[in-house]
Amino acid sequence: MSASDKNRLYRPETLTALGIIVVAAGLLVPTAALQPISALLPAAMLIGLIGLSVALLVRDQRKAGAGDIPEQVTTAPKRVLLAFLLIFGYALCVDFIGFYVSTAAVVPLVAYVFGYRNPLGLAIATVIVLVSIYTIFDLGMSREFPVGRLWKN
Amino acid sequence: MSKLFNKAALVGAIIMAAGAAHAEYPEKPISVIVGYSAGGGTDVMARTTAPFIEKYLGEGTSIVVKNMPGASGQIGITEVANSDPDGYTLGTFNLPGMMARTLDREADYDRDSFTYLGNVVNDPNVIVTAKNSGLDTVDKLIAAAQENPAAITVGMSSLGGDDHFMLIKLQNATDTEFTIVPFPGSAPARTALMGGHVAMGILNISEVANFQDELNVLGVALEERSEFAPELPTLAEQGLNIVNGSMRGIVAPKGLPEDIEAQLTAAFDQLADDQEFIDAMKATANPVQVVTGDDFKALTDELYDLAAEVWETSPWN
Amino acid sequence: MYTELLHALPNVLGFSNFAAVVIGVIAGIVVGAMPGLSATMAISVLVPFTFGLDPLVALGLMAGIYNGAMYGGAIPSVLLRIPGTPAAVATTFDGYPMAQRGEGGYALQVAVVSSSIGGIASAFALMLLAPPLSKVTLLFGPSEVFWVAVFGLCSIIFLLGGNPVKGLLSACFGVFVSVVGADPIYGSDRYTFGFLELLDGISIVILLVGLYALPPVIDLLEVPLKTDTDTNRLGTEPIWRTLPRMMRFWKTWLRSAAIGIWIGILPGAGGSMAAFMSYNEARRSSKNPDDWGKGEPEGVAASETANNADTASALIPALTLGIPGTAVAAVMLGGLLVHGLQPGPMLFRNNPDVVFGFMWQFLFGAILLVLLGGSLATNSFARLLNLPRPLLGAVIIVLMLIGVYSINGRMFDVYLMLGFGAIGYLMDKLKFPLPPVVLGLILGGFAEENLRLALRIGRGDWSVLFANTVSQVLVLLTLAVIVGPIIKRRFFKKDEARG
Repeated sequence: MSASDKNRLYRPETLTALGIIVVAAGLLVPTAALQPISALLPAAMLIGLIGLSVALLVRDQRKAGAGDIPEQVTTAPKRVLLAFLLIFGYALCVDFIGFYVSTAAVVPLVAYVFGYRNPLGLAIATVIVLVSIYTIFDLGMSREFPVGRLWKN
Repeated sequence: MSKLFNKAALVGAIIMAAGAAHAEYPEKPISVIVGYSAGGGTDVMARTTAPFIEKYLGEGTSIVVKNMPGASGQIGITEVANSDPDGYTLGTFNLPGMMARTLDREADYDRDSFTYLGNVVNDPNVIVTAKNSGLDTVDKLIAAAQENPAAITVGMSSLGGDDHFMLIKLQNATDTEFTIVPFPGSAPARTALMGGHVAMGILNISEVANFQDELNVLGVALEERSEFAPELPTLAEQGLNIVNGSMRGIVAPKGLPEDIEAQLTAAFDQLADDQEFIDAMKATANPVQVVTGDDFKALTDELYDLAAEVWETSPWN
Repeated sequence: MYTELLHALPNVLGFSNFAAVVIGVIAGIVVGAMPGLSATMAISVLVPFTFGLDPLVALGLMAGIYNGAMYGGAIPSVLLRIPGTPAAVATTFDGYPMAQRGEGGYALQVAVVSSSIGGIASAFALMLLAPPLSKVTLLFGPSEVFWVAVFGLCSIIFLLGGNPVKGLLSACFGVFVSVVGADPIYGSDRYTFGFLELLDGISIVILLVGLYALPPVIDLLEVPLKTDTDTNRLGTEPIWRTLPRMMRFWKTWLRSAAIGIWIGILPGAGGSMAAFMSYNEARRSSKNPDDWGKGEPEGVAASETANNADTASALIPALTLGIPGTAVAAVMLGGLLVHGLQPGPMLFRNNPDVVFGFMWQFLFGAILLVLLGGSLATNSFARLLNLPRPLLGAVIIVLMLIGVYSINGRMFDVYLMLGFGAIGYLMDKLKFPLPPVVLGLILGGFAEENLRLALRIGRGDWSVLFANTVSQVLVLLTLAVIVGPIIKRRFFKKDEARG
């Protein structure tokens, strides 16, 4: 396989189409266990997804054959990845450590990491966010947020 | 410092000993887990019952209702089954739904997972027909169903619920066959009946009480006329001995200390004669029938056996 | 009935009952404007709290929140391209391009005026026409509702964007998501993978927050901090100066209000479908359909009128039949039951003061919208959006988590939302259109359920779908929507060829 052939496979749309085909085909398997009328709509949609992805794949490969260079998905992959990691990490922390502690940490952390570094501004923003959430949800509506699974037992 | 600490420990020990001797239950808020979102029938039942139980458990008792909606109540009741049996976590319990779910899907609880405190609501089933169906008596309905099996469409809420078991009982008792149309709830089923899109419906008395002019109400599946809507005739009066309904009550995890169980059951017992309570429940569409302790357990067993029998002979999924 | 309506009025004007509406509208605008928080979530959080309140205070709060949130959703739609509520998705189509052009202020003014008009029309429909309109609802059995859903699904054609293959992929994805959960007839599991949390299906709010709010947040963080924050991006003029310019939308207002009211009285589909359909109808009858999606104020007017016009009308089937027209109305029905207000014809006889009072509160809520949602509210939100981008991103992340967690009180939904967020980010970057996913999720399962109920009623005979006049009319309408543009294009081409 030559370098250009490999490049043709690494195009974002091609990869997406292949991904959809694999996932949709995988999801088709459980439809066999359903009653026919129950399986009708999901199966139709999955087959639709596969068919359309094939169309997408063919078109993208034709474009690649014509020497087209695909648009980049992101200009700053590291920042995007970091943002996702921080957000998922935040959700996990809320779940295991507790809502208020995690929120108190994540608001300044995210803002700081992504370039807002004014300490006073960070402190004020964090306090405003926490206090208003606490007053509205906890005091006002007696709604509870996760207290952290780690401390439960 | 250490003296102070010792003193504190001593006082603490005395308080604890005293607490154990007097069994000052409840000493902190009791949570009642509701498996449905706020504003649903079961939630309103729990919230209406709570202040009365607080009253009967004595001064200073506080009950907090917590909603854990999802999966037709299964998420909430599973949480109850897995909680500590200390009397501080109770939960709402619906029959026959909660038992039917142990049959038609995998459940992390069974009928032995609970201490049965009190059933509060019995909402009996009602057979109704659409105004345009012409089937305005029980006899006409049965004659039509026998003449033309499966020709009559029956609107009701989902399979594996009280409506479904009611229909099975009706089919067995009269040797008929109907076509089930399971709507996503009783209100849509009732609307389809009013629009004449289905011929017959199985609903509950609380759901038809306000719609008596819009539907033909044929009969209530109860031994005697319901206090909730005494103007409606029973099926028994018309020669059909079928009793079925939807129950809502409150349970605790299994292994509740006996004194706490006795205290709670006694509180539920008092609800039966509390007219203020019955009126409050009626205002929120909950016909009251209090069944406590062992009788509640027996009721659950009975409904489980019924569901299991139906599931054996004609599984619904 | 009309005397009872007047009789209920003085009570509503009492201080606490009226204050409840005012507070509700303000709270609704704020909730709607916060990306991640939705009207459904706000009212479901409120319901248990209202146990201790006087009925009209509780209902006034809810009526106010509903009206306020349906407009508030337009604010982030216009300024950030994040629909604040599911019904505001169609507002992003033209609202955001307008904001980018420096006309964000005007877009929001169009939104608030249109929302108010829609809300007022809807309140009048509820007050004056509830009994006859509930008769209309009765005409729609499962097969008729199935055709309404198909009609709605056909409008996906107009939302496909530049690349139809990608648009259809999005639509298939949306419909597929709608089948997750218990099978509508048998109750057996479909794609729940053993998670009880998936059994009730995937809530539109979870999908929407994931798909629509997460990608813009990542964008906010992706671009390194800009020092200059464009303070005067809104370009606000006083509303009395822009109002005359809006008068040309009168046809759209009328049409969209009618569509919104109609969708509202049909159970199940709700706000987003009303907004999408009215957007499409307005575009089809526009003289310059090609400008739509590029910042045509009329598009904002169409979407915002419709999503407020189904608020009060969604309560018509809820109050008379017990079947809510929208997800928010479903939650409100719970709020009514809490106060012993059981739906049905008896409701109007037994509790006229509360029920008719509630209707007045809807009307006042809609009128108050212009006063409270005008320049003051929009300007303060615009200022909020001028926060440094990383800080704004961090705050939105917290709001997303709160909003999704509060619906059912479980972290599972938050993880699910983040999963959709990752998918949404990729879709956004690869230029897959998002609206077909939303419409597919809302209407896919809805169409399936009604089709299968209809087939049950017909005992497996498909001809039941064409059995009556209402169905036949709907089939013809659907065909007209699909075939109409094709024929039109043919004729235009011939004309051009001749000319």
